[in-house]
Amino acid sequence: MSEKKSVGSLILGKWNTKTIVGIAIGAALFAVLMNYGGIKIFTNTSLTTAMIVDVIVGALFGPLPAALTAFLGNFLADLIGGWGFWFDWSIGNAVLGFFVGLIPVYARKFDEGVFGVKEIIIYAITVIVGNIVAFGAVTPLLTYLFYSQELTITWGQATAALIGNASVQLVLGIPLLLFLASRNKKSSNLAKED
Amino acid sequence: MDNRLFINLKPGPTFLDRLTGKTKVRLFFVLILLLIATWDIRLIAPLFVLSIIGLVSIRPNPKKMTVTLVIILIMNLFNLLLMFLVEPDYGRGVVGGSNVIFRFTDFYIVTKETMWYFLVRLMKFMATFIFSLTFIQCITPSEMAAGLYSVKVPYKVCTIVSLAFRYIPDITRDFNNIRISMQARGLELDAKRVGIGTRLKQYVLILAPLVISSFDRVGMIANAMDLRGFGKLKKRTYYAEHEDVKGDRILAPIILLLLALFLVIVVCLIFFPPAFQVWCPWIK
Repeated sequence: MSEKKSVGSLILGKWNTKTIVGIAIGAALFAVLMNYGGIKIFTNTSLTTAMIVDVIVGALFGPLPAALTAFLGNFLADLIGGWGFWFDWSIGNAVLGFFVGLIPVYARKFDEGVFGVKEIIIYAITVIVGNIVAFGAVTPLLTYLFYSQELTITWGQATAALIGNASVQLVLGIPLLLFLASRNKKSSNLAKED
Repeated sequence: MDNRLFINLKPGPTFLDRLTGKTKVRLFFVLILLLIATWDIRLIAPLFVLSIIGLVSIRPNPKKMTVTLVIILIMNLFNLLLMFLVEPDYGRGVVGGSNVIFRFTDFYIVTKETMWYFLVRLMKFMATFIFSLTFIQCITPSEMAAGLYSVKVPYKVCTIVSLAFRYIPDITRDFNNIRISMQARGLELDAKRVGIGTRLKQYVLILAPLVISSFDRVGMIANAMDLRGFGKLKKRTYYAEHEDVKGDRILAPIILLLLALFLVIVVCLIFFPPAFQVWCPWIK
């Protein structure tokens, strides 16, 4: 495993067939969970477990694949959900996916099962910052630009989404990442001889 | 709900089915863009009628279709109810008036304008949904990829979309199977009996096997694609894409016209923004 990967290549991710299939399955999972795996809390907003998919794809493939997963996942969810198309939210989700997908950039040894307290703290920060940027800034701005809609409802939805998504990603995301890391560890428990 | 999604792998016999993927994708996107851009019932109403004609023309299973549409209608009405509860006088901002019809309390008033807005919104979203439904009914995953490729989307992204589209029914089925078997083991998911915290925790129990089984597929599919030489060349063609039929030749100029209409609407909205978002016959 080569240690020296530039930040740029980590952000882009490796665009091989596996990544492409991973994004596709992630997007399908995102769409399904967005439609069925949620608990409604506000109009068109729910405490959805789909948010966890960004984290997984991010951990496995990197931030750009995670962003694309969230964008396409949200688009497909809109396609089958029947609540209309909301590209402002798709783009907001893509931004969020990018932030939470930064895992391989700071947790360089995630592949080998290293995910300690430091990484958890950075993860929590990226989740909170990502949610604030995505749903506090990007989505309302785009809603205003695309639909020039009154922002009262959007603010309500954005706040609900922000709190809901951040808590799902923190409460469910951290145990999940630890689990994924421990699964990686098992596959590399051969000690190196000097 | 289990039968809400039924994705075709073989195109059917009707007019819309026989079009090329290129035409299907272009027509769908231009109609959706129009529906997103406009809040004018003079455009939404014809599109709504058109969407119903489109859906009927592909001769769907009437029983399934009615159930699906009723579910979506109820969901949209419920959303409108929630909007009403948050801001009853919504019409003042977007339609530009507030003629009270009925007054529950000082805050909860029913105004003509809010009702008009809700009608426009309901029609707009139902039309969007019916177009989506028609689209996913008459397109196959490969045709979707071919159609996206024809509008210059990189083919790796096209592959992602078609694969995701292809796997949605599988993952939905897995999700339902896992949920049912978990419920059979005594997991309570009824909203009335358990709180949000517990339910969220129980969703994890469904999520864990679903995530693992879904991502286990990745290696297998990727190997199969690699073996067939996926991603070796810069361009590709699609087996699913056939020669233009008569319908494609008829629809091509119509798509261009609709696109032009969309651009005109957007330019008008940017340079001559109307005082109120939603046009209404009795305001001005």
